[in-house]
Amino acid sequence: MRALRRQKLKNVHAEADQFRRRAMLGFLGIALAMLGLAGGYFRLQVLQHEEYQTRSEANRIKPRPIVPARGLIYDRNGRLLADNVPAYRLEIVPEQVRDLEATLTGLGQLVQLDAEDIGRFRETRRATRGFRPIPLKLRLDEGELARLAVNRHRFPGVEVVSYLTRRYPYGALFSHIIGYVGRVDVADLEAMGDSRNTALTHIGKAGIERFHEARLRGEIGYEEIETNVEGRALGVVRRHDAKPGADLFLSVDARLQQAMTDAFQGQDGAAVAIDPATGEILAMVSLPGYDPNLFINGISHADWQALQAPARPLFNRIVLGGFPPGSTIKPFMALAGLEAGVRRPEDLTLSTGEFFLPGQKRGYRDWRAGGHGMTNLRESLAQSVNTYYFKLAVELGVDRMDAFFQRLGFGEPTGIDLSGEIPGVRPSRAWKRKQFNADWYPGDTVNAAIGQGYWVTSPLQMAQATAMLANGGVRHRPHLVRESQAGFDQPRRPEPQPPGVRVVPDDANLAAVNDGLVAVVHGPTGSARASGVGATYLIAGKTGTVQRTSRQGQVAVDASKLPYHLRHQAWFIAFAPADKPTIALAVLVEHGGSGSRAAAPVARRILDAWLVPPPEDTAR
Amino acid sequence: MMALLQWLRETLGRLFDKVDLPLLLALLCVMLISLVVLASVGGDNTRLVTSQGARFLLGVGAMVLVSRVTPAKLRLWTPTAYGVSLVLLALVFAFGSGRSANLWLDLGLFYLQPGELLKLSVPMMLAWYLHGVVLPPKWKPLAVAAAIIGLPVAMIIKQPDLGTGMLVAASGAFAVYLAGIAWWRIGLFAGLGLASLPAVWPFLLPHQRDRVLTFLDPESDPLGTGWNIIQSKIAIGSGGFSGKGWGQGSQAHLDFLPEHTTDFIFSVLSEEWGWLGVVTLLALYLFIVGRCMWLASSARDGYSRILAGALAMTFSVYVIVNGGMVAGLLPVVGVPMPLLSFGGTSAVSLLVGFGMVMSVHAHRKFVA
Repeated sequence: MRALRRQKLKNVHAEADQFRRRAMLGFLGIALAMLGLAGGYFRLQVLQHEEYQTRSEANRIKPRPIVPARGLIYDRNGRLLADNVPAYRLEIVPEQVRDLEATLTGLGQLVQLDAEDIGRFRETRRATRGFRPIPLKLRLDEGELARLAVNRHRFPGVEVVSYLTRRYPYGALFSHIIGYVGRVDVADLEAMGDSRNTALTHIGKAGIERFHEARLRGEIGYEEIETNVEGRALGVVRRHDAKPGADLFLSVDARLQQAMTDAFQGQDGAAVAIDPATGEILAMVSLPGYDPNLFINGISHADWQALQAPARPLFNRIVLGGFPPGSTIKPFMALAGLEAGVRRPEDLTLSTGEFFLPGQKRGYRDWRAGGHGMTNLRESLAQSVNTYYFKLAVELGVDRMDAFFQRLGFGEPTGIDLSGEIPGVRPSRAWKRKQFNADWYPGDTVNAAIGQGYWVTSPLQMAQATAMLANGGVRHRPHLVRESQAGFDQPRRPEPQPPGVRVVPDDANLAAVNDGLVAVVHGPTGSARASGVGATYLIAGKTGTVQRTSRQGQVAVDASKLPYHLRHQAWFIAFAPADKPTIALAVLVEHGGSGSRAAAPVARRILDAWLVPPPEDTAR
Repeated sequence: MMALLQWLRETLGRLFDKVDLPLLLALLCVMLISLVVLASVGGDNTRLVTSQGARFLLGVGAMVLVSRVTPAKLRLWTPTAYGVSLVLLALVFAFGSGRSANLWLDLGLFYLQPGELLKLSVPMMLAWYLHGVVLPPKWKPLAVAAAIIGLPVAMIIKQPDLGTGMLVAASGAFAVYLAGIAWWRIGLFAGLGLASLPAVWPFLLPHQRDRVLTFLDPESDPLGTGWNIIQSKIAIGSGGFSGKGWGQGSQAHLDFLPEHTTDFIFSVLSEEWGWLGVVTLLALYLFIVGRCMWLASSARDGYSRILAGALAMTFSVYVIVNGGMVAGLLPVVGVPMPLLSFGGTSAVSLLVGFGMVMSVHAHRKFVA
């Protein structure tokens, strides 16, 4: 015990001796390492001196990056959606400039430089390794070019460089599909890693430009430049060719895209049209849009402020917008009932205007006071009868609903080739437990039955599910890129897509639901019958109205008198021609009142544009 | 007048009485060499020399002041210094700015790089802790020491600044080594470290992986790091035994050599002064390290010994890593050549460290 205690005391002299031994050894180690270093330098400087001497004298070769042209983007008919146009930019190699501040002031008298240009220049400079040109101003105009040419000799280290810049000929029309390129910033450079990318000036920041950045960019090459003793370029010794970016051919149709935008007649919202046979996106808008050309050379402060409007032009409602589907979920609910064997198409349900869960006082209402009477599947869709779906949901239970809707792709991203897509919410016990740590109540099931409550879907998910109804129960990945071409001497290659998955095997069940959807538009009681008038083809569709404020206490509110931002969201999903569909559609009109009055007419105009051939005399 | 001069001499003499003259002279030699090389690189542009000269002056001033602080006081402040530098490091995460990594804290007047502070405060904290435990350290003290080192190192590497993180880790490891950790434990830790290397690979950032890959095959990145190393080797090799002469280095002056005022300044020296210059500088560095170890051994208490010894050994890591890197013997890690590379923070913090070493020696008689 005593011995143990003594051992635990610090032994000052022993520690000092110990330290001296360790210090001695450490120093020896360091001396050895330095000796090794001196040896390494001896090998380089004395033994291999001749070789390096020769290389130094011959060292007139410097690499210079070659940035390939960015891939072009076309629509399905070969119309150019994103183009490259020649332009000139002003670059500075700060290390070759004697007095940078004086140079910047001097250049400011020749070209228009604002604080943003100079700020960006300084920031890029901090992030760039020495002796690389840093862009100061892009897209010089003719006057600026001329003034610079005359005064060139006054500014060593300053260069005017020709390059290709992006242009979007259709402006805002494709803003939420194509996105835009913007100037490379510090974070981009870090993310790219590879040092040769410092030669890039632009990079995809949104949309297709961002999602397919690597393919559009191609591979930067370099050439070896021979320089004279002062370091001026004399000629190219060797080229390591750049690999040009791939051209992308989208499935969208510029004509339909324009028609879709026009169909909204100035209202805000979103619409997606899909080819049901393949999952190809035919047109896709989120309104309002923005002009992507503003972003290419750095957006001005005023333009940026204008895009912060309450209608959120930069917000892509197609993939980022989450909305409850409302009654547009009913065809899928009906299908769930049929698939589970809980309902046959001819089974009748009584609607009295209000539905009560056992032992509850709160009622769940139909939209028509007094109810719709006895309704079968067809009428439940045509008139959008809530009680039919309340009762169906109670019999199905949330777990069977959840399993079925998962097969259809609700509650998860569709996998479209755009970034940032939201998964949405597919209501389930597990989801509610995770989100709120709460039990699932029967009332939650009833709300979910009519697309209210916890449901969140994007217009794209609705379009995908609608396409499934139209094509015989097959779920395709919606996609934008149809073909690509990696250089002009290469063949166009179709974009590989995962095979479609048949998620609803029973054709009879699909036919029963689709029969109801045709009745929505063409039936005598159909909720969207006004939009079917005069159609030369059959439309299958379903309205949906999502209430933000439905009643105050027990009193129903007139939706059209509500303040703008509290008005209903109007949905319409459709496919046509109903017997042989070539287009599936989801339309969302924001603040639009009801689905039948606001969204269905928009859908009709879009379908007409796709299906009715334009009269000969107006065709271009 | 005479009285004033007399007063001045006495004050200066008192001010410098804690300074170790041989060490000071060696440091001044290195700084002088740095200014001469910078003058060659800068040519007509004297900004490099004047601004670096000002930083050296500031650093030497700080060194002299620190040498007057007794180790007892230093030890008293150590936990505070360690805590404050950790907080600053955490602030960098929130408000930092900098090229390619968030390393700098903008203090309005100047930028502060908390990573530099930790190069001092980590060995201080370890010395403080090991001072109070029975040496050689067993498992429990080793675990505490690992935490003292690991926390800041993890944060620095996350910033990401591999070079500084490595130096801070080395300074801590040296403190533990000098405290007398058993050899078999060193072997065990080294073995574990080597074994975990493949596990670390997936966590490296793209540019860090690039650097390892280009070290293995410089030709794979002809526009970036690889090209830098090739050019640096040409500069060094073409320098030969006695060099091309001051201002004659074509590699540096024709801009073939990257970062030739900071990380690659040693290549410029090698090109212009040849192997003789290299050996002279290495000898100076070795003298500095040896002198510091000697001063450390003279201390009477564990805190002073371990702190001074760890600082000296860390200094040698700068030299070996930078010297190895520019000659392509080691992968590229952002470590400057100490007191030679252009840059203020590193020079000042190094000199403050030497101030501590001097203080340890000067106050050896007063510490129990």
